[in-house]
Amino acid sequence: MQFDSEASENLVCAVLAAQVAELRGRIDTGATVELLWRTTDVLSQLSGLVVELARRCHESDQALSEQCSTAVEAEAEISRSLESLAFEQAQRNDFTCQAVDCVVTALERLAVTDGPVGARLSPNDLAALYVSEEQRQVHDAVTRQFVIAAGRSVAEIRSRKGPGG
Amino acid sequence: MPAILVLDDSATMVMSLSRILKSAGYEVETASNGKEGMAKLAGGLKPSLILTDINMPQMDGIAFIKEARKAASTRFTPIIVLTTESGGQKRDEARAAGASSWLTKPTEPNELLTALKQLLPSK
Repeated sequence: MQFDSEASENLVCAVLAAQVAELRGRIDTGATVELLWRTTDVLSQLSGLVVELARRCHESDQALSEQCSTAVEAEAEISRSLESLAFEQAQRNDFTCQAVDCVVTALERLAVTDGPVGARLSPNDLAALYVSEEQRQVHDAVTRQFVIAAGRSVAEIRSRKGPGG
Repeated sequence: MPAILVLDDSATMVMSLSRILKSAGYEVETASNGKEGMAKLAGGLKPSLILTDINMPQMDGIAFIKEARKAASTRFTPIIVLTTESGGQKRDEARAAGASSWLTKPTEPNELLTALKQLLPSK
């Protein structure tokens, strides 16, 4: 199938938007977070049983009772770490999904077939989609590089044309 | 038991926050965006504190805070913003809208609970 150059670029943007949207579904770590919670719940149940065991063997087996107490302390520490890890995972996942949504939205706007090329999404339109300071910092860094590269190109063209060209 | 209204469009975030808050002894109500949050408030919910994201569909966190501040029942309710946004401009907008405090994701469960306790001294 043949497309003119404009339609071809629109199609590329539409395909990229769909592919990035597909990736978004795969980076969702909700299942991992739920597994971490289930793990802490089970550990907590087991810890309760160990506490009960320690209580029952307190007089008959002092050494086992002490080992149980150590295990309960270790469980508490691990459970706290797992809860923190699950919360961190959920937040990082949220951040990643929002950043990916921004890219998908931008590509979808660029894929729109009506409207003049260059007017569908300006750098300012793109910046308005951002959800974090990190994205704005990347935007600023790329813009600076772009301006420097554009300045070099202009200087090269002028030098090729020579003085007065 | 103080009730907390949690607003976030991420289902995983809502579940995570609910778990942490319930473990700490709070009652939790949830909404996936500002519009849903306002509907809960209009339905008679009177939270002791509101925890909201900024970037949400339909009604974002800043618009929600503005609307919540207009309602008599939540005019003085503490509102904590929990968001990926760390930008000064958004923070200023949220504060101007009536946000009480601001936390940037990722944050620690303890940091979140400390922020809550600072605004809910009786807990």
